[in-house]
Parts: sequence; structure tokens; C-alpha cells
Amino acid sequence: MNIEQYIQELRERFPGIKDTEVVNQKRLMIHIPATLLQEITNYWFNDLQYRYIIVSAIDSKEGYEIIYHYSDDNTGWIMNLNVLLPHDQPEIESMTSVVYGIEWIEREIMDILGIKFLNHPKPERFLFSEDWPEGEYPYRRKFRQEDR
Amino acid sequence: MGKKTIVPIGPYHPLLEEPEFFKLYCDGEIVVDMEWETGYNHRGIEKICESKTFEQVFYVVERICGICSTSHPFAYANAIESIPGVEIPLRAKLIRSVVGELERIHSHLLWVGLAGHFLGYNTVFMWAWKYREPVLDMFEIITGNRNSYAMFTIGGVRRDIDQEKADQLLKVLDDVQKKNDLLVGAVMDDPVIHARLKGVGTLTAKDIHDFGAVGPTARASGVDIDVRRDDPYAAYDLVKWKVITAKEGDVFAKAEVRLLETYESISIIRQCLELLKKEKEGEIKTKVKEIPPGLGIGHAEAPRGEVFHFVKSDGSNSPVRHKIRAPSYTCIPTFRKSCVGGTISDAAICTAAVDPCYCCTERMTQVYDHRTGKRVMNAAELIKLSQLKTEEVREKMGL
Repeated sequence: MNIEQYIQELRERFPGIKDTEVVNQKRLMIHIPATLLQEITNYWFNDLQYRYIIVSAIDSKEGYEIIYHYSDDNTGWIMNLNVLLPHDQPEIESMTSVVYGIEWIEREIMDILGIKFLNHPKPERFLFSEDWPEGEYPYRRKFRQEDR
Repeated sequence: MGKKTIVPIGPYHPLLEEPEFFKLYCDGEIVVDMEWETGYNHRGIEKICESKTFEQVFYVVERICGICSTSHPFAYANAIESIPGVEIPLRAKLIRSVVGELERIHSHLLWVGLAGHFLGYNTVFMWAWKYREPVLDMFEIITGNRNSYAMFTIGGVRRDIDQEKADQLLKVLDDVQKKNDLLVGAVMDDPVIHARLKGVGTLTAKDIHDFGAVGPTARASGVDIDVRRDDPYAAYDLVKWKVITAKEGDVFAKAEVRLLETYESISIIRQCLELLKKEKEGEIKTKVKEIPPGLGIGHAEAPRGEVFHFVKSDGSNSPVRHKIRAPSYTCIPTFRKSCVGGTISDAAICTAAVDPCYCCTERMTQVYDHRTGKRVMNAAELIKLSQLKTEEVREKMGL
């Protein structure tokens, strides 16, 4: 697979792409604005038949990074979409309308990091019990810092 | 008489390793919907990893699963070594593959045994677990432990396999191969098993894609994916083997894939040991001084499917974020397709077909009445029902 050509074609198809980087061997990270997420997900998952792996969420200095991992099993490349959400507005559209299996991990991220997935079919607690205190998100950097 | 004390058992109980909770909603005998509840025993391993050094994380992730305890260190090693771009010695690659494949053998044998038990074939259960024992003993000889082997480290492995141990292992493999022939015969040629498993809990290739299911679950539906071949790691590109697939997507196809995969694993180990013999003495570890800032994305093929690890390093000695995805996370939701529409008596084997961790599934599956919402059956009764159905099929066939 010629990755440079692939990136160029992807950029032509989606001019909104912010940045692309080959993280290391066979790993591609694409930084995109949240508005482009649905389109690229649809292109990858339905048109190119990439396999959905999982979603990672990180609380970094710049904001909340939501990283969608997909796999192109024909070439062995792992394709990643990185969306940066501002700390003061952690909201993003749910991808359940495109990828059926993504429902669980979105609920999990809601629990652990307090990211709101808009239009999620079942925005209920997943890992935590119903009586877990509101506003306590253990994977946020500031979580109970005074207790440490 | 004094006061009465009520002792509640489950979902929290010392006997339950990983509590899960399946709710089957039934209309008469037919399953109409299914829900899954989790979080009863969330250990926060991803969070714990953030407070450990890169080296210590191996021993934390090893404890995620008690059955396939080397699959998580495998994927983590692939992820963490990709950050500095470490090339591990050939000997370490071969040893890693040997341990990985031995684990697949014992895990698949365990599955065959449990599937037999669920169907009322307790002899198969006893056989499979008996034949699994020498494999575990072999682990003890090679790694020092029957489980949680602590073999992996950054840049290689921690213990070498010398010729004496290799010979012992080859002998055990010969035996396991013969016993697997027996099990294959018991499953493939039995008309009752055909009647019970064929056309039951069928998943199409589209279902697999929708849920992102992996491993034998996917391969049994004709989805030809295997990380070992698609994105080779360790020694998998140095040996000859093939990916086993089936077209049907039912429970029988899943059993077939697992049984035949065991042969492939035996063959891979033999070839690795042959290469080890040729390689003679050599390094088993590359020294890695530090992990630079960066992202590590690694995956490995566990017995149940792809294990995925994502590690973010900021140049310190511990991960900033460590995301782990076990294969069951995307395989378990497929129950919504495989169980719904079938009868309750088939539900036990449909859930078992994916090979989730059984101890929990077995004890926590409950059947609810569709209209009243009342619990009508628990897991033990569900398995009993499944065994009774096999009896009935057997009687009808006059066997």
C-alpha cells in the first residue's frame, strides 16, 4: 500500500482534514474536526469496509482527544481518526447510526470521562452503577487530585 | 430461633470471577430481546496502568484474563515496542510465538469441553479438560507457572527454552494431536451434535462487520481475518500455517474452526522449535533504555480474537493513557443477533459459542418473561434445558 498516495487521495476527498501523521509502522493517525467525523466514518466503515476496533479517549492538555481506531485487514494498517474536543464543551455526535457495535464504548466513555455523545440510542450508565456521583469522572486529569 | 440472616449470592461473590449479567427477554419459548449489564467487578486496570512503570504494566495486563493470560502482554509488547521501534531477537520472537500458540491450544480445549458440557456431553467435557492438563504442565516447565507466565518483557522474553524442554514439549504435542483427533471425531461425526448445532445461532458476515466481532466468531462466518497473518508480529511470518475459516456462521462452524485451529497451533509450535534448534544459543532480549514520547498501537491474535492495546507515552516511565480492548468486548454484543429469534434451550450454547469467560456467563444468565418482566429461569436451569434438548434429539433419532 502506497501510504502517501492514500493520504493524498483522502485529503482530496475530505479537504477539511487538519493533519495526518504516520505514527509508526503501519499506523496512520488523521486529525479531523468533529464536523467531518460522520462522513469519514461512513467512507471507511461502509465504502472501504474497514473493521471497527474501538474508541480511545484521552484527557490531554489541549482538550479531550477522542481516537477512533479502524483496521484495514487487507493491508494490516490500523487507521485512526483523532477528534479534539474543547474542555469546556465535551460533546460529539454519536456514531451508532453508522457503526452499530460502537454503542458500548460510547457509553463507557460517557461514564469515565464525561463526554456527551449526542443522539446516542441508550445514553445510560455502562460501567458505573446508577448511584455513582454526578460529575465524578475518574479518567479526567483533575480527578480527585487533592486526594493523591 | 434467633434472627434469620440472608446471604445473597451474586453478582458479587468470591466464586464469581467476572460477574456479568445477561437478561434474555422471552415470549413463550422464543427469545425476543437481550440485554447485557456489566461493571459489577470493574477493576479499573487502564487507570492502574497509569500509575505503573512500562515494565510493571506487563504483570498488570497479564491479570486481565485468567485463561489467556499471555494475549494481553503480547498486544502490549507489540504496542510499547513500536514507540522506540525495537527489533527483538529472533530467539525471543520464536519463544513468544510458542507461548502464544500453546495458550491457544489449551484455551480451545477448554472451550470444546465446556461446549460439550452445555450440550449434555459430559464425557467430552472430562476428556477435553484431561487432555488440557499436560499442556498446562508444559507451561509450568517452560515458564514456571501453569498460568500468568510472566514471560514477556520490553524487548524480548524473560526465559529461554532449551533443547531438553523443547523435546519434552514435542512429546506432549504428539500426544495432544492424537487426542485432538479423538475430539474432532467426537464432534464432527456425531449426528446428535449436528442436529443441535447446525443452523443454530447463525451470524452473517454483515453481522460480524456491524459489531466488529473478531477471532473464531468472525472466521466461522467466512470473514477471513487473523492478525497473525494480516499484520504479522513475533515469528508468525517465519512459519507456514493457514487461517481456518468456515462459511456457515452457526455454532457448529465455530466449533469446527476452533478444533482445526488447534492443529495449526501444533504445527506452528513444531516449526518454531525447529527454528530454535537451528538458531542454537542466542540473545533473548534487546536492551531498551527508555520509551520516548509517542503513541503505541499494537494488537495480537488471542484465542478469542484480536486483543488491542493503545499506549500514549510522554517520555516519562509510565503510560499517560492505556486503552485496552479484549475480543469479548465486540463479540458479546453479537448475542443480540445469535440468540434473538431462537429458542431458550439454544440460548446457552449460542452464548457459549463466542467463548466469553464462562464462569460468569453460566452463573449470571437469567431468563425473563417478555410480558411480566419476571425472572423465570437462571443459568443452571438454562444449561439443564439445553442438555434435555440433546436427550430429546437423541431419542428422536433412536440413538
